[in-house]
Amino acid sequence: MTTYRALGAACGLAALLITAPADADDLRVGVLAFQGSERAAQDFDPTIAHLQRVLPQHRFSLVPLDLGGVTRAVAERSVDFIITNPGDYVGLEARFGVTRLATLESRDHSAPLDSVGSLVIAPNRAGHPVGLADLAGRKLAVVTASAFGGWQVIWREMDDVGLSPGRLGELIETGFPMERVVEAVRTGRAEAGVLRACLLEDLIAAGRVRPDEFVVVAERPAAGFPCRLSSRLYPDWPFARLAGTPPDLAKAVTSALLAMPAVDGRAWTAPQDYTSVHALFRQLKIGPYDYLAHVTLSGFLRAQWPWFLAAGVAVLWWIVHVARVETLVRRRTVELTREIQSREKAEDEARRTREQRDQFSRLGILGEMASNIAHELNQPLAAIANYAEGLTHAIDRGRGDAGFLRAGARGIAGEAERAGAIIQRIRAFVRRREAKRETLDANDVVRDTLALFETLAARRGIAVRVHLAPDLPQVTADRAEIEQVLLNLLQNAVDAMTDAAIDASRRGRGITVRTSRDGAAVKIAVRDHGPGLTADVEAHLFDTFFTTKPHGLGLGLCICRTIVESHGGRLWAANNPGDGLTMRFTLPAPAEPTR
Amino acid sequence: MTDAAPLVLIVDDDAAMRRSIAFLFASVGLETESFPTGDAFLAALPPPEKLRPGAVVLDVRMPGMSGLEAQRLLAARGCPLPVIIVTGHGDVPMAVEALKAGAHDFIEKPFKEQHLLDTVAKAIHASRERLAAAARRRAVEARLARLGKREREVLDGILAGKANKVIAFELDLSVKTIEAYRAAVMTKMEATSLAELARMVDTSD
Repeated sequence: MTTYRALGAACGLAALLITAPADADDLRVGVLAFQGSERAAQDFDPTIAHLQRVLPQHRFSLVPLDLGGVTRAVAERSVDFIITNPGDYVGLEARFGVTRLATLESRDHSAPLDSVGSLVIAPNRAGHPVGLADLAGRKLAVVTASAFGGWQVIWREMDDVGLSPGRLGELIETGFPMERVVEAVRTGRAEAGVLRACLLEDLIAAGRVRPDEFVVVAERPAAGFPCRLSSRLYPDWPFARLAGTPPDLAKAVTSALLAMPAVDGRAWTAPQDYTSVHALFRQLKIGPYDYLAHVTLSGFLRAQWPWFLAAGVAVLWWIVHVARVETLVRRRTVELTREIQSREKAEDEARRTREQRDQFSRLGILGEMASNIAHELNQPLAAIANYAEGLTHAIDRGRGDAGFLRAGARGIAGEAERAGAIIQRIRAFVRRREAKRETLDANDVVRDTLALFETLAARRGIAVRVHLAPDLPQVTADRAEIEQVLLNLLQNAVDAMTDAAIDASRRGRGITVRTSRDGAAVKIAVRDHGPGLTADVEAHLFDTFFTTKPHGLGLGLCICRTIVESHGGRLWAANNPGDGLTMRFTLPAPAEPTR
Repeated sequence: MTDAAPLVLIVDDDAAMRRSIAFLFASVGLETESFPTGDAFLAALPPPEKLRPGAVVLDVRMPGMSGLEAQRLLAARGCPLPVIIVTGHGDVPMAVEALKAGAHDFIEKPFKEQHLLDTVAKAIHASRERLAAAARRRAVEARLARLGKREREVLDGILAGKANKVIAFELDLSVKTIEAYRAAVMTKMEATSLAELARMVDTSD
């Protein structure tokens, strides 16, 4: 509280002084009164008094100022000289061209000191922080965040070990005097505190701190420095002249200062190098290097704009590209979906057409069958007519011997029976019915089928030869279905043989139907001398709707295979070693022969 | 031989047809012989001089050798028997082909039985003439075979209408010798006149 009031008084005083015009002989020495104007006066009045004594032609006065006041006074040249801390000095040197004339020297220790440093104290307890990095997450007490020796010096050391102030638990500002920092650590308000070097030793000497009460964190001894330290050393406060102060005056003041005897442990010595202070500010990006902290964003952006532009363009291009790809994918997907739909539609259409065609073809087959039936029936009917005519002639000629007449009548009866059998067979073939399994002689089935088929083959000039194996086991099968399979294979064989590429000699070899025993099954083979199968055709031979015939269904072999397999048999095709193709199928015989 | 009883030869793969046609012919007193294939028929066919008058009824559609093929082979052998081809209904091209190949006639299935009988009767009649002509031709050929080399040369001269003197000059022989040859030729050829000799040799060519 008192400090604030003191500062407020200093501010008021400074404002008053600044407004007053400076007399030519009146030399004003501004001083940073960070501990209050009274304390500043106490510290530096002896220096003013000495200067007054040595240079009586001038009137020296001390002007206590706060940090802002120092800057303003220098800017407005309302002072001729300035005494301030090293940090502030570096700032003023950079901004206003102030020049140091001498550096403060302390003589109240065992050796004269022209340097300042800091240390970090922590309560001497188990688990106390050892290095600066241990301060992470802990509350640290400092006199004020803008203090050079009281904070910034330690800040630089923390920065060196990678600990930013943001990672501290809390930065507690206690205000002056610095002993309050000790108080804060002692009461537990803070877990560690920053002190100017030698203050701890002073307090111990004064009996206000027990020697073992605190430990020094990250202690680093410096050669020739009598106090404990946690930081590097920096030059002490400078006595500086403003840029406009006459050089002769400056020279006179400098020599007066260097000649001044120590009063209360304070004297002036040759001006120190303040480069280390510059390095500190540059590293922490504060003071004259404050802009470095801001550089990180807008300045950096300004400096690096071509890269950002390039990156921006790249990102933009990428976004456009992604959007374009997305659009293309979507459009292609739509197209694909449409294409698939139209293809499905076309396939549906094709299937419908095919079904229609199948229907027509079935009718076509029926037509073929009908013409076959007509031809089949013609034979017995013609024979009957022959017998009848013969009988008529015999009677007319009076050749009435019983043997001859009976032969004619028997002939008629036999042929009528044959015609009936044909009709019976056709009806059995055509009639739709449930699969009817019966015990059959495969040879009989072959014979009956060939009876139906032979004339048709003959009409196309193809002979059918038959080799029926004797002693075949009986098979259990649906007669009509097996006949259908055989007819289909025979029809295919005839079609193959009447292929335009087949010459007469090959055609003359005809079709061979052969039955044989195949283990426990009966094998039926239909061999032709047609063009055979290409590998391509063979691969799809049994596919539904696959056909090589101009008006074929592509159903025949498919149905055949289904039928044969439903009988537990197998249907397959194989090109003959010589020429043509042999279709074979098996019909398994039941385990117990039913004879 | 031409006076022998006629024989109808039936070639049909259908047994019922063979039997019924044979019965039909039997009813009119005709003898028949049936064959199931062209091969069997050709194998059983006797040499021309032993053929009886008659006809061949040949079904055109048969497995193996077809009717037309059988007919062609028959013609190649110089068989004088008339062939009646039985074709399917409306099979005009095949009928035409059959006639071109020398078939006597064709008959369309289904046929009227009487039509078949009539056709066969005509064919049998024709066969008698053909067989007689064939027999004559064979006789002349036999007589020609009896002629010696000089006699044949003299015959050629006579048929060319040359005078004895011209023939004698060409053969470097005397006219007397030619006259002797000429008498021998007339005797060996059993010809009573020059006209008869000329007709005889003409038919044998």
